Amino acid sequence: MHQLFKELHELFLATQFTAFISKTSTRQELYEFTNIFFKHFTWVENAFVKEREAYSYSVDHIPIKVTQLSHMINNILERMDSVEEKLDSCKDEHITFRVRSDFEYIRQVLEKIPDEDAATAFDTKRVYPNVELTDEARDALTIFLFEESYKEYELIMVYNYSKANSDDAFLNRIFQILIDESFFHLRSFGEMMADMGILGVPRTLMEEIYKFDDLKQFLKDGIEEEIGAKEECKRLAEAVSSSSEYFAAFFTFINNQENYHIALMEEALAYIEGK
Amino acid sequence: MEADAQLVQHMMSPQNYGEMKDNDATGMGKNPKNGEKVAIYLKVKKEEELTIEDISFQAIGCTTTIVAGSIITSEAKGITFSRARELVSITLGMLDNVPPEDAACTEMVAIALSAALDTYLKREEDSDYPMISYLIETDCTPKEEGDDAPTI
Repeated sequence: MHQLFKELHELFLATQFTAFISKTSTRQELYEFTNIFFKHFTWVENAFVKEREAYSYSVDHIPIKVTQLSHMINNILERMDSVEEKLDSCKDEHITFRVRSDFEYIRQVLEKIPDEDAATAFDTKRVYPNVELTDEARDALTIFLFEESYKEYELIMVYNYSKANSDDAFLNRIFQILIDESFFHLRSFGEMMADMGILGVPRTLMEEIYKFDDLKQFLKDGIEEEIGAKEECKRLAEAVSSSSEYFAAFFTFINNQENYHIALMEEALAYIEGK
Repeated sequence: MEADAQLVQHMMSPQNYGEMKDNDATGMGKNPKNGEKVAIYLKVKKEEELTIEDISFQAIGCTTTIVAGSIITSEAKGITFSRARELVSITLGMLDNVPPEDAACTEMVAIALSAALDTYLKREEDSDYPMISYLIETDCTPKEEGDDAPTI
């Protein structure tokens, strides 16, 4: 089941980042399939939790640099075949029936997806249509997107691990909101990376990032990091404001979203301290 | 860090990233101030001279650390231990000309490589020898303009 779990994780990531390559309605379809694959992943994870078996979020590097979207679509189909071969290692028949059924439908849709040119997502030109960025703003934005796309992926997985291993409804409500928020941010940044021609899948997580002993300390550190991220967004909004009103407004919007994340983490911290 | 085309390639697709399960030695570089760390894993070939047959790294750190890890491990793959020592020494020698926040990240990778080489040699004498960790000396806090105080 460990190999199945790892491959489901890789399938979810490959599909999510392939979505960023598309410039058509295919992107939304792949977002939906990403959501489904992520659910499959969490259900198999729950089978580990029920059996009290240790598991890891380690994945192999996922190559994504292609010239045609169809090359990645075929790669996703191959990944699905490989996952399906390993499904019987999960003994929960309700899960395996559901995954097989979902895969049957998803395969039919993927096989009909029209091809698109993918080269611009990886050309490293770092230009935006209708936006003139200074060299300084371009470098700042580039590094921000790599830092934050990794960070959002990390947060999705950290909160997911915490949620999977907690029976506390109060905390799990907060974890779920933070997972959903991080998905939104990851998608926003991933789309920008593809637009700038610098798309890449985040690196695998070190175990100690999500397998921590002290939730209280994790939340305290997380609040500090969110404050840091807010400052970074503010700096970036200032750096790009002369080049693009759209970017400036976008980073102010993201910056303000961090306020609620901080409030949620403070709420979780107060709850733990009051227990 | 200025993001030129070559560096962007390392950001998009870091080389040699990930844990190496069947390693012969691991070394760690740490920043004691912020908890960032780099682990380097070595597979070693015993020839006339000890040679790094394969190398990988993992990090809790920023993009600069990942880029430095990608570049340094690419340089280190296939070279002898003595050449790897030179690589560490040359890398550390260049840090004076680098902004402190970038220097700290690069130093962390270089000392992790040094720690991995040292761990391997210690394990030749004692197979139970624990993984060696080194701490960086560079302070990664950016200097304010006009602040001429030397970095720690």
